[in-house]
Amino acid sequence: MRKGLFYGLLFTSPAILGFIIFTLGPMIASLVLSLTDYNVFKDQTAFVGIDNYSKLFSGEDELFYQSLGITFYFVLLRVPAVIIISFVIALLLNLNVRGRAIFRTIIYLPSIVPAVASAMIWMWLLNPDLGLANSVLGWLHLPTSNWLYSEGSVIPSVVLTTLWGIGGTVIIFLAGLSGIPKQYYESIDVDGGGWYSKLRHITIPMVTPTIFFNTIMTIIGSFQVFNEAYILTQGGPNNRSLFYVFYLWRTGFRDTEMGYASALAWVLFLIIMFFTFLVFRTSKSWVHYEGGERP
Amino acid sequence: MSRQWKSITVLMALVLMLVAIVSACAKSNSGSGNSNSNSPANTASSESPSKEGANEPITLRMTVWGAPEEVAAYKVAIAKFEAKYSNITVKLQHIAADYDTKLTTMVAGNDVPDIAMMESGSIAFPLAEQGKFYNLQEFLQSDPEINADSLVPNISYSLEPGNVIGLAPGPESFGLFYNEDIFNDAGLTPPPSKASEAWTWDEFVEVAKKLTVDTKGRNAADADFDPKNIKQYGVNVPTWWGSYSNFIYSNGGDFVSEDGKSFALNQPAAVEALQKVADLINVHHVAPSPVQAKNIPATNVALQTKKVAMAIDGQWASTGLAQSKFHFNVGVLPTMKAPMTTVVCGMFSMFKSTQHPKEAWELMKALLDPEASIDMITAGTWMPSYKDWYTDPAMLAKWTENLDSRPSGYKDAIIDVLLNNSHQTPTGYVKNFNKIMDIVNPALDKVWLGQQTAQEAMDSIADKAQKQVQGRRDVKG
Repeated sequence: MRKGLFYGLLFTSPAILGFIIFTLGPMIASLVLSLTDYNVFKDQTAFVGIDNYSKLFSGEDELFYQSLGITFYFVLLRVPAVIIISFVIALLLNLNVRGRAIFRTIIYLPSIVPAVASAMIWMWLLNPDLGLANSVLGWLHLPTSNWLYSEGSVIPSVVLTTLWGIGGTVIIFLAGLSGIPKQYYESIDVDGGGWYSKLRHITIPMVTPTIFFNTIMTIIGSFQVFNEAYILTQGGPNNRSLFYVFYLWRTGFRDTEMGYASALAWVLFLIIMFFTFLVFRTSKSWVHYEGGERP
Repeated sequence: MSRQWKSITVLMALVLMLVAIVSACAKSNSGSGNSNSNSPANTASSESPSKEGANEPITLRMTVWGAPEEVAAYKVAIAKFEAKYSNITVKLQHIAADYDTKLTTMVAGNDVPDIAMMESGSIAFPLAEQGKFYNLQEFLQSDPEINADSLVPNISYSLEPGNVIGLAPGPESFGLFYNEDIFNDAGLTPPPSKASEAWTWDEFVEVAKKLTVDTKGRNAADADFDPKNIKQYGVNVPTWWGSYSNFIYSNGGDFVSEDGKSFALNQPAAVEALQKVADLINVHHVAPSPVQAKNIPATNVALQTKKVAMAIDGQWASTGLAQSKFHFNVGVLPTMKAPMTTVVCGMFSMFKSTQHPKEAWELMKALLDPEASIDMITAGTWMPSYKDWYTDPAMLAKWTENLDSRPSGYKDAIIDVLLNNSHQTPTGYVKNFNKIMDIVNPALDKVWLGQQTAQEAMDSIADKAQKQVQGRRDVKG
């Protein structure tokens, strides 16, 4: 047993060390920096206590609240969209149809396309004058949109572009679906229920742990949205896609105010912690584990 | 129990050792960076050994961004330099993307190069304000070969009067590029090339209207013209500050007031210029909006494929235009009150931490030398930094005659305007330019889209922008 502990720790040490050196260390460093006025270019750095934080919340920095609001809007829009769409796709891919492997590959494929490449493709698709999206809407005699280039539609458009890369979430759902024992469905067949009863009473309850996991991961990922702002919009138009992490990056690396940027990072960390905690708390009432055990 | 503790202690010791090793590696790196760090005493003492031991091997580090051709030009300059000074090796580091981020990280790690190419709009001045750069004025004053007067106007950047922090390897100014065939076919006189004959704004708008054609062949002067389906735009005017600054200056406006104390983009001269540019898009329908401009290819392709008839662009577009093989030419920009062009350029700066300032200065001179970058200059992307390359007819001929990249209007429209009617880029003298523009740009988005007038938009942010105004670098105090 003790020997087991030793080897256990030994073999996990790369991961543990990696965490300590490359994650925990920098995190502690940034926590300390967030209490200073550290500017990369200045030779003098002074402790300023919680000044950075009070500046954030005092309303002096309008972009802080704006970027926070935009990011919340994005999360609110994206998380349900990702969960519902990827769940439906997973259900379809779980059907016993011909060419299932091909469909699964096609759905997953965008996830391995580099973010920059897929962003460039989306810029073309959503181009207001030449893009495929508006051409299709035009043929159908529907109103076209300025997509990424107008204040109202930029966030929904960015959500749309990220939905392309939900292959990873779909795969996790598929794993959850394939773990459901067949006899449960057979019992519904015996009792005379249809596909809806199967979905409502077996599939959904059985995959709630997977939904739970995917929801948390999607919330975390959505709060950290950066690439899209960096590549597609540069925060525009009129700062309407100034996502929190993009603003953080701009503060830290363009304006070189690392102390203040560190404070921004910690606020985001706490927000994500809070929402993860919230989902965990609610999970007791809706997540079902096989065998009835609850965390 | 004790054995378990023992193994944990052993493991902890191992972990600690590893951490120590890793951090020791990190230390030794930053240690070497520290040794050439930037205390004045350090640099002062370092000048003497380089004087005495002229032949001791010296390595200079230099960082640049740029296209492969530009890097090739730097390599030519470096090869010539190394041939002249056999004891010096130059390590060129090409940072193709995210240059500022990379350099910021190098500064944070005390691992800066001796010479770096810098961008006036981003981190150059913040670094200079922290005393990270040499004052190149000192070198210019004592150098036997070049001085401030031998350089073309507006290619040096000063933190404050008398403190030169960067020199550009050449200027870049703006012109009105056009497709000659479009003008011939339409029977219109092309834009004049001489500044004295430059179009007024109204004349320019009239011509642009005639050259803006919808899908049914009607032009923008026609009552039935359909602005929703434009096939050929009269002109493409990019909506970044470099482009519209030409007209603000031409109209006598500025970004900040002359004393540097107040925000000036909401003042009549600047507002009029901004409004006139926006009117090209929203009133006259002769220029693409920023949204439509996403479909407009680079100037050379846009002109060649007749998506636009004229394009306001930097002279650096010449290279692409020359390669595109069609009849292009360049005219002088239309004027509002006086002919004017903004000079934009990068710069070379010397870090205070260099241990070999004299050698670094020699290297900088080698990089400024037009002879070394002649390929880039004749190709069209660059212009020379030395004034005599513009004023001496024989030198001028070297880079302006019998070249695809230098059409017939070039000498008048670009060179004469640069020498006589040019204005420094706002990034060079407006303090805190970035932060001011962070406020201005979102407001201007609405102007370009026709949702607000320039006056409304600039007034709405004037108070916020005023808070970011910190003065001018070309005014003492």
